[in-house]
Amino acid sequence: MSGLGLALRWIHLAASVGLVGGAVMLLIAGRSDRPTALAWQSRVTGAARWFLLVAVVAGLGVLAYQTALLEGRASAAAEPRALLRVATQTQSGLVTLVRLGLLAVATVFVVGRLRTTERIDWIALHGETAGLALVALALASAGGHAAAAEPSVVRAIAIDFVHLAAAGLWAGALPALALLLRAAAREEGADARPYAVLATQRFSRLALVTVLVLTISGIANAFTHVRDVAGLIGTSYGRLLVVKLALFAVALVFAARNRRRWVPALGGEARTIGRPAMQRLASAVGMEALLVTAVLGVVAALGVTPPARHEQAAWPLTFRLTTSVLENAPDARWQVLVGSQVAVLGLVVVLCAVMLRRLRLPLVAGACVLLITGGTMALIPLAVDAYPTTYHRPTVPYSVSSIAAGADIYAERCAACHGRSGGGDGPAAARLPRPPADLRAPHTGQHTAGDLFWWVSHGIARGAMPGFAATLTEDQRWDVINYIRLLGTLEPARWLGPIVDPGRAWLVAPDFSYAVAPAPPHSLRDYRGSRHVLLVLYTLPASRERLAQLANAYQMLTTLGVEIVAVPTDASPDAIRTLGAEPRVLFPVATEGAADILTVYGRFDAAPHAEFLIDKQGYIRARWSSRAETARDVTRLLAEIQELNAEKVEVPPADEHVH
Amino acid sequence: MRAYKAVLLVNAALLVSGAVSGWQVWRRAAGPADAQAITWGGPEREWHDIHGVVRAVLPELGIIVLTHTDIPGYMPGMTMGFRATTQIPEGLSVGDAVRFSVRGSPPLVVLTAIQKAS
Repeated sequence: MSGLGLALRWIHLAASVGLVGGAVMLLIAGRSDRPTALAWQSRVTGAARWFLLVAVVAGLGVLAYQTALLEGRASAAAEPRALLRVATQTQSGLVTLVRLGLLAVATVFVVGRLRTTERIDWIALHGETAGLALVALALASAGGHAAAAEPSVVRAIAIDFVHLAAAGLWAGALPALALLLRAAAREEGADARPYAVLATQRFSRLALVTVLVLTISGIANAFTHVRDVAGLIGTSYGRLLVVKLALFAVALVFAARNRRRWVPALGGEARTIGRPAMQRLASAVGMEALLVTAVLGVVAALGVTPPARHEQAAWPLTFRLTTSVLENAPDARWQVLVGSQVAVLGLVVVLCAVMLRRLRLPLVAGACVLLITGGTMALIPLAVDAYPTTYHRPTVPYSVSSIAAGADIYAERCAACHGRSGGGDGPAAARLPRPPADLRAPHTGQHTAGDLFWWVSHGIARGAMPGFAATLTEDQRWDVINYIRLLGTLEPARWLGPIVDPGRAWLVAPDFSYAVAPAPPHSLRDYRGSRHVLLVLYTLPASRERLAQLANAYQMLTTLGVEIVAVPTDASPDAIRTLGAEPRVLFPVATEGAADILTVYGRFDAAPHAEFLIDKQGYIRARWSSRAETARDVTRLLAEIQELNAEKVEVPPADEHVH
Repeated sequence: MRAYKAVLLVNAALLVSGAVSGWQVWRRAAGPADAQAITWGGPEREWHDIHGVVRAVLPELGIIVLTHTDIPGYMPGMTMGFRATTQIPEGLSVGDAVRFSVRGSPPLVVLTAIQKAS
């Protein structure tokens, strides 16, 4: 986004906020017949005309800029047809159109000469201006990032609406307030001083509420668009947000000081106490207004930066903190426990320092020592190595095709050291300075997928592991990581039996895609949230009897919310003909996509006949194979399915990505 | 004009235009779904050259079960039974790739022609 587009957005936003705040400040202050107050009111209404004009012109400019971007040529910004197309056929264009329409309606009240001799007219006029401008401002939420937020667009828009509205009320009123205070603090402004004091006190109450609303809705917005620390410090959106927060914090320091010190002092005797306080307050509020204008600039930049949630966060530090290291380290647990208690004690001392004025200095010093010691003690054991890609999310889903591709790459490039099954016992392992990692160990807690990605890409120098960034594409590296994820689940998966363990879903079923040619393909993901899937790997003729059982029970199983997907272990494209007319099999028989399914699910169970019961959420919940001693009756299967259906959905849907 | 009257007028106009455009947006949002929906019991239509694979033949009922590709404007690809008005060709067996035609007004459609795909 070039500087022009950004500047237009900033100007539009600042003018819209100023328009809202001016009208709101007039309403807060109320009518007055004092000359200074009247002069201030006409200055504010005069400024409102400019704000309105600038907001509309800059708003049109933003629309034109958007058009040039979308059409891919600068000249489109001046073509009425292109402008109209963007304004009526894109959501952000439509929202801009409605907002500009509301501002146009507001012109009637800002520019028009309406009679306001009575109080009701005066309030109606400024109330309507404030209302129209406020809605026009807050509606921007429906055209911004919130309109693409997941999972709930409506909630995200509602929260952003409130955030923008609160910003308009608070930030917009600051310049008008500063003007009033400056006018009243002058020698000749004495007539309006009580009016200004009253207005300031009212504003102060409103500001407290709006700042609280701003903070809460801002936090909610941050969760929607940034979500975690990595997003906050590892993406440009997150870093802009940090700048915004820092500016906002400084503005709040001013606000708090004004509220505690200068607003109470206003009530004093005008000549000696009140006036100097008013002058100080006027300049402090002016500073606040400047800071807030800077914040709006950052907001304009945020509006054109992709939200952190959709970006790969580049972690800037060489370490990160995680409590999962404590799982295997009992000593560290003690250290963290003691350290955190010391830090809590430090916080208690801080509270004491706030309350006991006399001992403040020694208490603060003591608190600092306690906080630093406790913090260091507690945090050092939690630090683990981190890399720029630590918080990268896999770009390739955890699917059988990716795993199968990864398995091939693994066999070719990794197995020599890491061993065929990932045990770190490959033929070349003995010659290495350090034994290679056992990839079957459950490391998901301590290493992120991004850590693995870094190691696969850049190697580990001290372990003599080479990097593959130059030889494997990014997708290929994720394929290998998906395969390593599978390796990590094979050992625990051996304990999965034919009986569903209620409430315990942990083994993520790798996604797969199959087709009963010529019908279009389906994937496991299609059944998410709607049906359980019984994946049957079968071999003829041994499986014929079991298939007949399933075929006869198919209608019943469908009624219970199960789809059967049968995969022939010979991956024959002619599988349906081979099955023959009896038993009458009507459930899907994979004639395409079977090979990858067999490669991956065959690792869980390589028996000639194996069945996997995969629940609606995408977890393998039960496994049964012909190796089991007892033949399996279909009624047993129905009982397991009833068990799944009776379960309350507590576990989140299985993620196709490694974590 | 007195300001409060202007405010009342403008608000009334905004409410009306908001309601009207809201109604239009709502109708437009509902529109395409209607257009895509199957018109049950509409005029008879015919679909030709649908590809499928035979899953079961029930000659005594005159029904043939096929896993077929999408039938545009009627249904997505799936496995289902069709009643045949035509003679089911001799030698048609499970697993055969076929091309077929159906005719009717959904959901009452019959299979009018079927032949093995070469």
